[in-house]
Amino acid sequence: MGKAAIAVLMACSFLTATAQTQKESPPPAPKVKTGDIAPDFTLVDQNGQPHSLHDYKGKKNVAIAFFVWSFSPN
Amino acid sequence: MRSFQENIAKLEAADTQVLGVSMDSPFANKAFADQNGVTFPLLSDIGGKVIQDYGLYKEYDKFNIKIPAARRATYVIDTNGKVSEMQVDAEAVDPTKVVTFCAARKAKG
Repeated sequence: MGKAAIAVLMACSFLTATAQTQKESPPPAPKVKTGDIAPDFTLVDQNGQPHSLHDYKGKKNVAIAFFVWSFSPN
Repeated sequence: MRSFQENIAKLEAADTQVLGVSMDSPFANKAFADQNGVTFPLLSDIGGKVIQDYGLYKEYDKFNIKIPAARRATYVIDTNGKVSEMQVDAEAVDPTKVVTFCAARKAKG
């Protein structure tokens, strides 16, 4: 195999690797991080009852579970 | 959300309120809660404002259209309103770590 062929192969594998890296680049980190004050909100539940994050301040921890869709796996 | 429901007793024992948040309508959430025995609030962020505030907004390609929704994420907010633990995407699917974290916080006092 000639040097030119090797160079072409190397270029191809490099380009493929670059393309894969771009495709699989990790999604951006969320705005809100550990240690931040959690942005407050008021939203209604499945029965139309409002819930605010500040309702729980000084009382309970809150686990906010963001989910994609109700009728989706997990 | 079913995985959180399975752990709801442990989370309540750890003084932790679970709030589900998505861009579903309250009607979809009601149907889902009824069908799956979900007892905690499933909150409806229809316009996605809260999801954008947290930086979790994403457009999913489904059926050749883009459907806006939240990324999967779990945030534990302490009694001072601060984020004390967070998990995003695949790691947020299993709530075991969150249960352990909240139980440990309670044990610490």
